Amino acid sequence: MTNIIETKNISKQYEQGDLSVSALNDVNISLSNQAFAALLGPSGSGKSTLLNICGLIDKPTQGALYFCGENIADASDKELTTIRRNKLGFIFQGFNLVPVMSVYDNVEYPLILLGVGKKLRRERVTAMLETVGLLPFEKHLPDQVSGGQKQRVAIARALITQPRLVIADEPTANLDTQTATDIINLMYTMHKDFGTAFIIATHDERMSSHCNIEYQLHDGALQ
Amino acid sequence: MKWLKLAIKNVLRNRRRALVTILITAVGVAAILIGGGFANFTYVSLKEMAARSSGHLIVAHKDYFDKEESVPMEFGLNDFSSLAKKLKSDEDIRYVIPKVEFTGLISNGEKSTIFMGSGVDPKYEFKVKGPFLTIDDGNILSKREKENNPQVMLGKKMAKYFNAKINDSLTLLSTTVDGSLNAIDVTVQGIFSTGIPELDKRSILVNINTAQSLLSTDKISNLALHLRETEATFSKYNKLTREYADLGWQTWLDTAFFYVGVKELYNRIFGLLGFIIIMMVFFSIYNTVNMSVVERTREIGTLRAIGTYSNEVTRNFVLEGLVISFIGASIGISIAALTSLGLSIAEIQMPPPPGRTSSYPLAVDIPVNLYLITAAIVTVVCIIASWLSSYKASNKSIVGALSHV
Ligand SMILES: Nc1ncnc2c1ncn2[C@@H]1O[C@H](COP(=O)(O)OP(=O)(O)O)[C@@H](O)[C@H]1O
Ligand SMILES: [Mg+2]
Repeated sequence: MTNIIETKNISKQYEQGDLSVSALNDVNISLSNQAFAALLGPSGSGKSTLLNICGLIDKPTQGALYFCGENIADASDKELTTIRRNKLGFIFQGFNLVPVMSVYDNVEYPLILLGVGKKLRRERVTAMLETVGLLPFEKHLPDQVSGGQKQRVAIARALITQPRLVIADEPTANLDTQTATDIINLMYTMHKDFGTAFIIATHDERMSSHCNIEYQLHDGALQ
Repeated sequence: MKWLKLAIKNVLRNRRRALVTILITAVGVAAILIGGGFANFTYVSLKEMAARSSGHLIVAHKDYFDKEESVPMEFGLNDFSSLAKKLKSDEDIRYVIPKVEFTGLISNGEKSTIFMGSGVDPKYEFKVKGPFLTIDDGNILSKREKENNPQVMLGKKMAKYFNAKINDSLTLLSTTVDGSLNAIDVTVQGIFSTGIPELDKRSILVNINTAQSLLSTDKISNLALHLRETEATFSKYNKLTREYADLGWQTWLDTAFFYVGVKELYNRIFGLLGFIIIMMVFFSIYNTVNMSVVERTREIGTLRAIGTYSNEVTRNFVLEGLVISFIGASIGISIAALTSLGLSIAEIQMPPPPGRTSSYPLAVDIPVNLYLITAAIVTVVCIIASWLSSYKASNKSIVGALSHV
């Protein structure tokens, strides 16, 4: 069984004028289908950088990244986008919903990209909204629902395409404790029900209770 | 459809900004259409006037248009009636009118001046001239005038020069076809104006028989062909010049110097104005889409991250530009159409153009083509503007876009 993601000694340097900031150093991780992985570490330790690389929206400066067994070093922007729309889901700290689209439309959007027919889209979006408990809010705009509900919409949007891996960058950082717990539980349920792998950057110690893998980053290096 | 809906929602996101751009586009489109419609109305009127004064097609002796005659009527047409009959049998030709062009001196016994005369057939000539010949005083030439009492019509300025009244007697003096001098007494039947001061000073009209007897000839100078449709002129010209290759042919356009001049001038003026307006629309749309792109950088990053191709992102912004330009152009077209309608009811008079004496109604006659071309240009301009302003942002680093605040 090939891993979804496997990194081989990846490093990332940011050039800032003469200064070179090293955000990642020789990082090796691998995520299987069953992974519900926590990426821990203080602010500035390189969590976002690693997630961006795993999410195929950034590239390492050294090392290789294997996605479903394939080295994607030479993939074009278009090819990477195709992988992302088919096999990846994203959950952001700031929710990042499209403000002019309703809750329903936001969740439906990835299915439109995939060219799913209207009828099937309706079925799947309705079922998904049901799962995350937002069916009564389907016509609301993102601004008309609470932070926790927004993150539920984002989770629904990330999972609607049944991706292989969901990348979540501090998904609970903007939420109060109770809501954060709900969101963590929801993600875990989704992981169990859909068999989708997760990698979640977090400070939240409660995440650990669910996680089957933990990566601890410090100054860009795994501990 | 769903993309269009999304584009409309995004346009409505900043209503005031969208409204300003829509208004600029609307005013621009209306200005182009009204300006173009005015120019077109002018062209059509001048074309009609030129065609009616010379005939759509003029047929004459082979050398008539190119060489100078050494004696009058050297290049006249001899047996024209059979030719006229043959041409007349053509369905598209309404009138075939013989004409004798001649020059000479006109005198009232006290003073004289040079004239440019046309011998015409009163039966048709005044019918085809229609509204483009104004009778200021008296009447048009009689269809049957009494022998020994030939009539003349004088241009307004010439009448003024002689202080001539209706029924005054004048003498025409000219050279005959064999080079001797001949004179004929004529009675003033009417005074006309063409709207062109130079013509009104020199032109006289007589019956074609009068002209022929003054020149002692049976020949005519040319036959003017009046078609049913001005648009058919050039296809007819091509056909007839092949059929009657031994004759000389011209179209109304060959002598329509005023039409050509005005058209060149107006094309330049309205072309430049149109270009400036289009540039305004371009920058307005560019700016609007660009501001929208900058404000939505993070959203672009998000959409790209979750699997939207960069060209899909660009396309969505282009759609937004199209929504704006479509609404703007529709409003502009409505304004122009209403203006055109309003003017046709209001009958506002314009001051005479340079070289003219008569005013004319302000009208805007917008051809369907102009609507289509303007709509097409605005659409293309808007696609280019919104593409240019969103292309870079759709292709820039996703991580950078996501961390944009
Ligand atoms: N675009 C960038 N340019 C320069 N340095 C950056 C950039 N992004 C991140 N960094 C640096 O890389 C390091 C890791 O950042 P990041 O991955 O965002 O950490 P975390 O998500 O764990 O807080 C930090 O020192 C940060 O300052
Ligand atoms: Mg971070």
